[in-house]
Amino acid sequence: MRRQILVAFAFVVVLLGGQALAHHNMTALFDFNDRVTLNGTLTKIDWRNPHTYLTIDVQGSAGAAESWQAEGPSPTWFRIRDIGKADFESNLGKTLSVELSRARDKSRSGLIRTITLPGGRVVSACPQNC
Amino acid sequence: MKTTTHIAIAFAAISVFRAPLPAAAQQELSAEAKAKEVAEAREKRNALNFQNNATTIVFYDRTGKRAGAGVGERAIYDEAVLSPDGSRVAVCIEDLANESADLFVLDAATGMKTRLTTSARTEFVMAPVWSPDGRRIAYVTIRKGQEGIYARAANGQGSEELLYKNPGAFMNLTDWSQDGRFLTFAISDIKGGALYVLPVTGAENGPDRKPVEITHSDLRMFSPRFSPDGRFLSYTVIDKANRADVFVRPVDPAATGEPWKISDGSSGPASWRRDGKELYYLARDQSMMVAEVKTSATFSFSAPKVLFRQQSPVPERIAYISSDGERFLVLPRPRGPQLQQVTIFDRQGQVVQKVGEPGMYGQPSFSPDGRRLLVMQADLQTGQTDLWTIDLASGKRTRLTNDTLPKNGPLWSPDGKYIYYVSLRNGDWPIFRRPSDGSAGEELVYRYTPGAGLNLTDISPDGRFMVCDSGGVILVVPLTGEPASRKEIEFLRDEFTDNVGRLSPDGKFLAFRSDEARPERGEVYVRPFDASTNQPGKGKWQVSKDGVNAMLHWRADGKEIFFRGMNLESNELRVMSADVTTTPTFSVASPKLLFKLPGPLGGNLGNISRDGQKFVFAVNVSANTESK
Repeated sequence: MRRQILVAFAFVVVLLGGQALAHHNMTALFDFNDRVTLNGTLTKIDWRNPHTYLTIDVQGSAGAAESWQAEGPSPTWFRIRDIGKADFESNLGKTLSVELSRARDKSRSGLIRTITLPGGRVVSACPQNC
Repeated sequence: MKTTTHIAIAFAAISVFRAPLPAAAQQELSAEAKAKEVAEAREKRNALNFQNNATTIVFYDRTGKRAGAGVGERAIYDEAVLSPDGSRVAVCIEDLANESADLFVLDAATGMKTRLTTSARTEFVMAPVWSPDGRRIAYVTIRKGQEGIYARAANGQGSEELLYKNPGAFMNLTDWSQDGRFLTFAISDIKGGALYVLPVTGAENGPDRKPVEITHSDLRMFSPRFSPDGRFLSYTVIDKANRADVFVRPVDPAATGEPWKISDGSSGPASWRRDGKELYYLARDQSMMVAEVKTSATFSFSAPKVLFRQQSPVPERIAYISSDGERFLVLPRPRGPQLQQVTIFDRQGQVVQKVGEPGMYGQPSFSPDGRRLLVMQADLQTGQTDLWTIDLASGKRTRLTNDTLPKNGPLWSPDGKYIYYVSLRNGDWPIFRRPSDGSAGEELVYRYTPGAGLNLTDISPDGRFMVCDSGGVILVVPLTGEPASRKEIEFLRDEFTDNVGRLSPDGKFLAFRSDEARPERGEVYVRPFDASTNQPGKGKWQVSKDGVNAMLHWRADGKEIFFRGMNLESNELRVMSADVTTTPTFSVASPKLLFKLPGPLGGNLGNISRDGQKFVFAVNVSANTESK
């Protein structure tokens, strides 16, 4: 959580038995200063490391359906916070809301900050993705 | 969150060879029982984390000596900022169970605490700054994924006021101008950084007020602070070589010309004395530096001088400097100043040899022939970490690297001629190698996905490929062709965190850690390794039962696997061993405890001799300090 400069004594001691490192530097791929909120239908889940992916179909500005890829934290990240694959699987085909930091390449993809499930439950991907 | 200490639990041996697991071992526990176990494990981990990281607040005087008693109860303080009159301290305190942090004000004399915020789970408060009159505190929050700057009365009365809702992230709020009109913050990410000033008074008030960008750079910038007259900003820049320096520039965004570079290397932000005549910062060697400055007409400064050197042999964290330049707020190391003694043990845990003098060491490992050690060593003053080899017979040390770039996971090549390691370069973690005799520089071995974290965990006995992991996925990298064109193959990718892949000496099996059965602990598993496809074969065996940490290692004859277990209730390190066979297929006996060591000890992979008779660790030893 600390985000102040940790320049002094940045002595690296690896504890390889612990949680996985983030797979990629989030700020390299996603612009945290460019956010979008989508309301759409959850159509697909990829629940594997290093990241989970939700596919969400939303109605585009021209009226046609647009498919967005929303990248979330690892399955383990959710798992130790009592959130499981089943929480998302049970909502396939239903409407949810997701706030993303958009991909820097401006593709229809982004990094999940928060998800509001159909029942109103809010799943935050912070602090990992915030 | 703060990096947690990774823990496992004690071992219960079962003296039978186990058959391959047909499917998922976690089926043994009901979902309810597993959730309870996970919750209990997390609670124990948090308790240990608190034990290892909680500290109090102390002060140095202008000569670097401790002044007065400690302030406040033991807690995990993220940040601590003195009020303008020095009578109170605004602190952000972590709540490990809630995965959150909140803002409190401590009375610097009595330690009496006033809570200012109450965060929900996974929400945070950080970066407090005092208003110049000491009546209010502004701070950054992350709530429901949204960053905001709020302000509240320092006595906890009234409600908080939203000053600015950041559409982005990574605000580093660091100062409130002396006239009370502006806040200043930095935003930096991998693409660079920018400094901003936010007006907080006047007609434009409201959470939609716009910050003014003062300057930006493709380098990361942090910690802007106003000169007392409000005309200049000091700030810290981190260059591509990971070196920090203090600069000063006009607040006016239209100002032209180069900023003034104050430091020759720094390790923290600068602070102005309230009369604007002195500027302080920590040098790379942890000396507290002072430069005489003038801000009338234009900015000018004298060559910085050493104000004091820290008396502790292991420098402490100076978190804030009082506005009169007389008091230095320090967050001491929770366990006191500690160094490490590289120590070799036998299988019974008896000390065989102490290597060299105590220092800051990490990840010691034996060369394949057992005659040399490879260590990472941090310079006590600068913190620069480099790779060294040490000849065990003569004690001769050979320096392999000399740079400020972070390094990790060094491994010997199977023939002992090279050292492979990961090093941070512009946000990427490529793998390099160097001759282990120091006779030549580094060469690139492999570059993974840009920006992705990467652990190097093994090199195959025939030197044909490396085993790595990233994001809980185990990767195999064939060492053929040009380094730039090498591509990884996913060996194991599922919904569990799989890492620390270690090949059997005959190259037919891969041992690894997975959290499949226990998300808060992880266990050791073995799967067949098909070298023709770099894919797992059929079969899967669970080697450990009660949790593991790092140090997964095969004996050279392939008949024993070592790993480390740690106790959730203590830092105790448990060196474990399991007898195994790899022909005609894999089988494993129940693990047994070889010996215990007091911890915490950092992890490493190669710290067991190939014959399984010697174990090397960087053991904590107390460092003398005159400042205590």
